[in-house]
Amino acid sequence: MLPVRCFSCGKVVSNVWEEYKQRVAEGEDPAAVLDDLGVVRYCCRRMILSHVELVDTLAPYQ
Amino acid sequence: MTMEVDILELSERSAKFILSNASAAFANGVRRASLSDVPTLAIDDVNIYNNTSVLFDEQLALRLGLIPLTTDIEEFVPVEECTCGGAECPACKVSLTLSAEGPRMVYSGDLVSSDERVQAADQNVPIIDLKEGQKVVLEAIAHMNYGHKHAKWQAGVACGYKNMPIVTFENCDECGACVNECPKNIIHIGPNGAEISGDDILKCILCKLCASVCEIDAVTVSEDEKSFIFTMESDGSYTVQQLIINAGTTIKEKASRLGEILESL
Ligand code: SF4
Ligand code: SF4
Ligand SMILES: [Zn+2]
Ligand SMILES: [Zn+2]
Repeated sequence: MLPVRCFSCGKVVSNVWEEYKQRVAEGEDPAAVLDDLGVVRYCCRRMILSHVELVDTLAPYQ
Repeated sequence: MTMEVDILELSERSAKFILSNASAAFANGVRRASLSDVPTLAIDDVNIYNNTSVLFDEQLALRLGLIPLTTDIEEFVPVEECTCGGAECPACKVSLTLSAEGPRMVYSGDLVSSDERVQAADQNVPIIDLKEGQKVVLEAIAHMNYGHKHAKWQAGVACGYKNMPIVTFENCDECGACVNECPKNIIHIGPNGAEISGDDILKCILCKLCASVCEIDAVTVSEDEKSFIFTMESDGSYTVQQLIINAGTTIKEKASRLGEILESL
């Protein structure tokens, strides 16, 4: 799960993750999607760019 | 001179303004107050009745705590300052419940609040992705507190300022070197040599690259020490306007408390 807020500035970032993932999968430019979603500072952008989704990997071992 | 505020941008969640004729100490006071001294509500106690999700109870509680809740500063007080003396009454505590069963994504909007004025500021913050058969049942208790205690009570996000830049050009020979050097692309060659027009000066980051590249030292970069360009964002607990007003009120209260203490000495 993407952390709820940006570690550095405290902006809520996790609510853009699903839209970001979907739009990038459809072939949009990640930088343009982030700008469009209002994630403008690089501290917040790295939260999303460096995120690895592990829920599906862990789920079978629950 | 009296202090002046010139608003450049103002929306529900973010603001940009110029504060002039103020001291650096005061500007920093406003910045710090909005980050750490404006109290908000946040979940800080969670009673977990069932959690078979992939997250540990602690991680789940952390995620809940970081969700901004809409707060009315007039209606709530931190527990330590409440008239109930720590017994926890409706003025210092709000309880929210969450109960969900997979497969589905649980969002902040699924939190059911016991007080309709207190809701998740964003309804679409994912809390946990529940798979088939997984369950979460819990009661979350929100208290009011200050940003300096924990980041979950921080109402202001990325509050900062820079001094108003002053860039002057004198006896420029129009070589164009500074035009290409400026990382913000705000310098252009005008009728009297290099210049920066209109509001473009607000974009200057005071990097002084233009001054270092000019071979005849025609550029001087300095800053106005009494004028500040502020940017502020709110996490959603308040509108940014309320946030700034609350920050101002906090400073006023602290100053008058200090005055009282000094008088009683
Ligand atoms: S100080 Fe930097 S940003 Fe400002 S005008 Fe000069 S080169 Fe541009
Ligand atoms: S580098 Fe100096 S001389 Fe050249 S355009 Fe800029 S200010 Fe003028
Ligand atoms: Zn950030
Ligand atoms: Zn109370």
